[in-house]
Amino acid sequence: MELLVSLGIGLMTAVGVYLMLRRRTFPVVLGLAMLSYAVNTFIFASGRLISGAPPVLMKDVTTYTDPLPQALVLTAIVISFGMTAVVVLLSLGAFLSAETDAIDIEKPDAREGAAAADRAG
Amino acid sequence: MMSHWIVAPIILPALVGSFVLLTLRHDLLLQRVAGLAGTAGLVFLALVLWAGTAGGAIESYELGSWPAPFGIVLVADRLAALMVLLTAVLGLMVLAYVTASGWDGRGRHFHALYQFQLMGLMGAMLTGDIFNLFVFFEILLIASYGLMIHAGGRMRLRAGVQYVVVNLAGSTLFLFALGAIYGIFGTLNMADMAVRVGQLPEGDIALLRVSAALLVLVFLLKGGLVPLHFWMPNTYALAPAPVAALFAIMTKVGAYSVIRVYTLVFPPEAAGTGTMVADILMPFALVTLALGALGVLAGGTLGRVTAFSALASMGTLFAAVAGFDPEAIAAALYYLIHSTLAGAALFLVVDQVRARRGTSALVPRAPMAGTGLVASAYFAAAIAVAGMPPLSGFMGKLMVLDALRDHGAWVWVWSVVLVGSLVIVVGFARAGSVLFWKAHDGATPAAAPAEPVDRPDPAATSGWAMAALALPLVGVLALTAFAGPVHGQMRAIAAQLGDRAAYVAAVLGPEAGAGLATLTPDEDQ
Amino acid sequence: MSLALIAALPFLGALLPGVMIRAGRNACATVTGSVTALALLGILLHAPAVMRGEVVTARFEWIPALGLNATFMLDGLGLLFSLLILGIGLLIITYARFYLAKSDPMGQFYTYLLLFQGAMVGIVLSDNVLLLLIFWELTSLSSFLLIGYWRHLPEGRQGARMALAVTGMGGLAMIGGMLILGNIAGSYDLSVILTQGDAIRADPLYLPALILILLGAFTKSAQFPFHFWLPHAMAAPTPVSAYLHSATMVKAGLFLMARLWPVLSGTDAWFWLVGGAGLITMVLGAVIALFKDDLKALLAFSTVSHLGLITMLLGLGTEFGAVAAVFHIINHATFKAALFMTAGIVDHEAHTRDIRRLGGLRALMPVTFVIAAIGSLSMAGIPAFNGFLSKEMMLEAAWDTGTGFAVLATLGALFSVGYSLRYLVHTFLGPVRDDYPHTPHDPGPGLWLPPAFLAVLVVVIGLVPQAAVGGFVKVVAGAVTLGEPTVYLKLWHGLVPALYMSIAAVVGGAILLALHGGLSRAWDAAPRPEAKAIFDALVDACARAARGLSDGLHDGAVSRYLAIMTAAVLAYGFWAWSGGEHTPGLRIATPLSPVPVIFAALLAVASLALVALHRRRFVALVVISIVGLVVSMAFVHFSAPDLALTQLTVEVVTIILLLLALNYLPKATPVETTAARRLLDGAIALGAGIGVAALTWAFLSRDRALPAISDYHLANSYEGGGGNNVVNVILVDFRGFDTMGEIIVLGIAALVIFALVDGLLRGPASRWLANRVPDMPQAGDRHPLMMVVATRIALPIALAVAVFIFLRGHNEPGGGFIAGLVAAIALLMQYMASGFAWSESRQHFDYHGVIALGVAIAVLTGVASLLLGWNFLTSTNEYVTVWPLSKVHLASAIAFDLGVFLTVVGSVMLALASLSRIGRRAGEGVNLTPMDIDPEAPGRAGKEPH
Repeated sequence: MELLVSLGIGLMTAVGVYLMLRRRTFPVVLGLAMLSYAVNTFIFASGRLISGAPPVLMKDVTTYTDPLPQALVLTAIVISFGMTAVVVLLSLGAFLSAETDAIDIEKPDAREGAAAADRAG
Repeated sequence: MMSHWIVAPIILPALVGSFVLLTLRHDLLLQRVAGLAGTAGLVFLALVLWAGTAGGAIESYELGSWPAPFGIVLVADRLAALMVLLTAVLGLMVLAYVTASGWDGRGRHFHALYQFQLMGLMGAMLTGDIFNLFVFFEILLIASYGLMIHAGGRMRLRAGVQYVVVNLAGSTLFLFALGAIYGIFGTLNMADMAVRVGQLPEGDIALLRVSAALLVLVFLLKGGLVPLHFWMPNTYALAPAPVAALFAIMTKVGAYSVIRVYTLVFPPEAAGTGTMVADILMPFALVTLALGALGVLAGGTLGRVTAFSALASMGTLFAAVAGFDPEAIAAALYYLIHSTLAGAALFLVVDQVRARRGTSALVPRAPMAGTGLVASAYFAAAIAVAGMPPLSGFMGKLMVLDALRDHGAWVWVWSVVLVGSLVIVVGFARAGSVLFWKAHDGATPAAAPAEPVDRPDPAATSGWAMAALALPLVGVLALTAFAGPVHGQMRAIAAQLGDRAAYVAAVLGPEAGAGLATLTPDEDQ
Repeated sequence: MSLALIAALPFLGALLPGVMIRAGRNACATVTGSVTALALLGILLHAPAVMRGEVVTARFEWIPALGLNATFMLDGLGLLFSLLILGIGLLIITYARFYLAKSDPMGQFYTYLLLFQGAMVGIVLSDNVLLLLIFWELTSLSSFLLIGYWRHLPEGRQGARMALAVTGMGGLAMIGGMLILGNIAGSYDLSVILTQGDAIRADPLYLPALILILLGAFTKSAQFPFHFWLPHAMAAPTPVSAYLHSATMVKAGLFLMARLWPVLSGTDAWFWLVGGAGLITMVLGAVIALFKDDLKALLAFSTVSHLGLITMLLGLGTEFGAVAAVFHIINHATFKAALFMTAGIVDHEAHTRDIRRLGGLRALMPVTFVIAAIGSLSMAGIPAFNGFLSKEMMLEAAWDTGTGFAVLATLGALFSVGYSLRYLVHTFLGPVRDDYPHTPHDPGPGLWLPPAFLAVLVVVIGLVPQAAVGGFVKVVAGAVTLGEPTVYLKLWHGLVPALYMSIAAVVGGAILLALHGGLSRAWDAAPRPEAKAIFDALVDACARAARGLSDGLHDGAVSRYLAIMTAAVLAYGFWAWSGGEHTPGLRIATPLSPVPVIFAALLAVASLALVALHRRRFVALVVISIVGLVVSMAFVHFSAPDLALTQLTVEVVTIILLLLALNYLPKATPVETTAARRLLDGAIALGAGIGVAALTWAFLSRDRALPAISDYHLANSYEGGGGNNVVNVILVDFRGFDTMGEIIVLGIAALVIFALVDGLLRGPASRWLANRVPDMPQAGDRHPLMMVVATRIALPIALAVAVFIFLRGHNEPGGGFIAGLVAAIALLMQYMASGFAWSESRQHFDYHGVIALGVAIAVLTGVASLLLGWNFLTSTNEYVTVWPLSKVHLASAIAFDLGVFLTVVGSVMLALASLSRIGRRAGEGVNLTPMDIDPEAPGRAGKEPH
């Protein structure tokens, strides 16, 4: 199982990175979501894997899985949820303002853009 | 007696932020009062903290009364107190400017976001727990996303997306690092990590090094070190200039974190990690400095020039950190204070230029109103940022150069720092001469069509705004005049950082500290 | 008067002119002059002591640890220079008062001038090389302001920038040199460094230090090949030129070479570098000066030449050379300042400085003529004037050095005679013309008195040198050589070689002048490198290259940034890995079983499908939600029920959010990258995947070397935290501080979204939205009946479930966060099924308030424990029976969890509400009654008012 989990996390990472390197905001957001699946599972795995031993205290049970990584992952999930919400809406906002969802700011645009933001500022 | 004061700088902005949100949402004036009062209170708390640590005591605060390393601890030592004070002071200065120039009215929720931003910064500097550091990083980041896109605009939103995406990638990396750290150390408490790093078996060293590498990269990303710096220029150039001024402290959080974990957990004398941090830090710091200097020379807009000067200053700072010995760390810290204040001042000047001229693009324009004052402020801030005498930048640079004179790469360091300064000076001179001198050229036709400022706000160029702009410059002056005592304090901080055992003892108790003391010294060497 | 005060006076005084200008130009000049006079007085009071051979010092600590202290000393050399700086400064201030036009901002001028003066005084009084560096760079900066003073002139701006770039470069090089010097000597104090001459010259770093320091000195003193900036600095007003380029700034380099003479001189390197550069500069400057038609340009190049002369003398490294150098510094300052001022007078009166348009001024301006005559004859080295004396000494020194030096020195002197005579003859002699731009006549005494004073000095020193300055030169030269030089200055040396060389120079110079017309044409026709053009081209090329590189690297292509970052992480991670020892682990705790394998296969298929189908965005969303589902299942399988629940609920909300956003985004992703680029991206992604997989495997396959802290959490969860669900207890108690931060992140996220949308709807995007035509077929049945009914029924159930999950969270999987999400989803369903307006009109929640309340409750729970005297967030727990539920173990942390709950609900709903505002602006039907079929029906609320 350990090998399977490792490969699964690696696969999600690879897919996440690949999508993160795309040129439009939407696939990039998906890529980041994939990466957050991958990293959450990775942190979870840092407590090692145990099947059927949830960290809920019960009488006569002595073996529990490591609860701490679970708590960390919970925090991470919530935070990445907030971050995802922001980046989705921000992408939408950028698309509505710029009428393109390209994530790269084109070269001539970068300079002119700086001037434009100057005016806006 | 001091203990509860440690958590206060985090709670206060959180409460002020919620309070502003809950009750003052619709009244800008009251928001300003609350924001300024809260931030002033923060300065006071920071001073208390500073006074409490001045004697050299390290205090640890166990949240929820859970003993370390099982709960989360906050740790106040001299370094943390310095960073908290610097953040609070900068926060107050920038907020004064924002209020005076009316920036806070150009979008929603500025004051609430600002308070949460401060809260994140305070937490990041006070925490003694590596995962808690992540949480505070996220707080300061998400607040910074809001501040970055404050007042909106096409380019700003697009740059905002980039900023957020890069930092989300960075947060993911942080989580990978944390997973690795928990996997290898079995703890999240930084003092505990410092203890355990010496107890790991040989066969775990490779994993230890990977976890250290991932962690350091996260901080270097925040600190804007090449090749992780790409987010900086556009973010700083396209964010509202006063926000960019506040961001002057954000990169410093990266530098602070590097200093913290590097001195505490992975010092060069630790057998497993050794000089793996310094080995990459020094060359890339110099490249960072060089790229920043080139960016200043490249011009474009004053905003972009200033952004690149901030990059260059991070290069100098990291070069000093890479030197690592107490003198170098002391120099780095002095330079850190300096570049925070000077960088902030320059960004505020950018804002004035934009407000008066419509754009900070470096093309000749009709003369702007009130050139003399703005030009003087620019001159002073540019001198400081470029590290020219007589302002603190020069002292900082001298300290860095002097501290690194025995470093193996001293020829490189000196050459890059000095040549970089020259390039920056020339770049600033070119920019300033177009903005403030060429503008007087009555005969020059407007190269670009004249665009109006999008929301002409009389407050933006008011005397109050100029007075607020002067605040960081006054700070730079004070830093210059009292360079000796300040440098002395920095040396005290560096000395304290060198004493890992004291930190560990403060957090985990004297036995743990004593155990560390026998572990660390020369036997590895 | 303390030396520190003297050095500080000009800086303090610099504040005054700007204020005093309101009281008038005379007041302004008087104040400025008084400040200078006061400083001069201070120096003069110390003069007797210095003449007795004492060294006056003053010391203040500044940055002791760095070795940078405000230490000052006044010896002979310092005395000479401070007298020049302040004395001539006083004359210049007087002169400038009458020179500047009414339209020139005089307050600014005097402020800059005093700043510059202070910097110069600082240089010559510093007893600390770091302090000296500060003043050194200050002269660069303040001269930048002075040269660019007439900012409307492009030449002024360019000249100022060039001066700054060149002298700034030298200054920065000098920093390096001085640091090395201080490093060798063990102190940055000059008084210490000066005693370490032998050690310094023997050090392997002597040569680099020498070169770096000379770079500073040469650029400042306009020595070849850095001489080109000085003539362009002539765009400054004449008082500035007279001050900077006769007595002060350009002499700073000489001062430095003289100051460090005891430490640096006496080696071959010094001789060839300094002597050679000086000699070349002397000849080159003199030749160019002869062909300059602008009076000030002529004087500028003559200055270059004379600076070369002095540099050459210092470079010889002999005592006699040093004495001659000191003497010529005095002489040059007197006659050159006077000459600059006469050039200024001519310019001021005739409105031109072009020699070709002048001539015959002798009759029109006799006073000016006399002064100019004295100055230029002295510059030419004609007997009876002071220039002659030091030139003779120079020729003698050159003769003693060798033939080459003698020949070149004579040649330099010859051209010097040529241009000096030209200045005099072509400007003042000859017939009076009738085509001056403005008919000149002698100015008022304000303009001619200052140069006249200097002219008197020229004559007096020329006639009775030993009596006038003999003792003084001895003291100064003693300070340079740290010895007791013999000084005997006299007019007549007998028939020595120098005399013949001098005669040859005068005769040759006269011939040159006679032939000037033809030579000038030949000169103009000859091709030669134009230093300014080269410099400009160089700087522009640098700037262009910088722009190309910088913009090329930072062009806004974030996908490339991320690729580089990922590659960097991989590289450093791999490097770190390979630097340490790794023992493979042997731990396999969980055997393979069929169900997980099926899920793993599903994950693999879904992940690959996501890559393949990511351009079709709706499909991609469906596929990615499968991945999320598998991850939840994995959590279930590996004993993490809380995680699974959270992952599921978050998944639902995230997908809903993405769906809603996708409604306004393009529905497909175009192909924009080349296959090669995709391959590269794929390689990077594959590398990352392999790296992470390997890392995961490394952890999973080994046991911990050290016990994890979570053992404590398991052991103390019930006793200390009052809960059986250890994960939940960690979240709300052991690590409640994290959770507090986490919900604040969530709250801020909602705020950011709200502010973002609010800004959007006020901006141009709003118009675009309003005119938007939906790119997807719209369902006619906007709010399907079945869905409305189902959600209506589901709401109370879902809310009850939320409460249940909330309450049991401490002991069983659940808790505030999950409960909040469940509640939020339940509400969300209402909105989706029945429309936002309808739902909102029935739930008057102020989401901002809910968020703020949630955060405040969480924080205040912590504060409450502070008030009870415990640490922040310390919890307590009680058994409470809540009817009709069974006995509940209620921890105070539950209040904290309530804060979590509220924040989650508020944040999700605020984000949704913000999205719905976009929808309303886009003109999507918003109904007041549910279950309307036709969007155009009367029940439609219409667009949100602008």
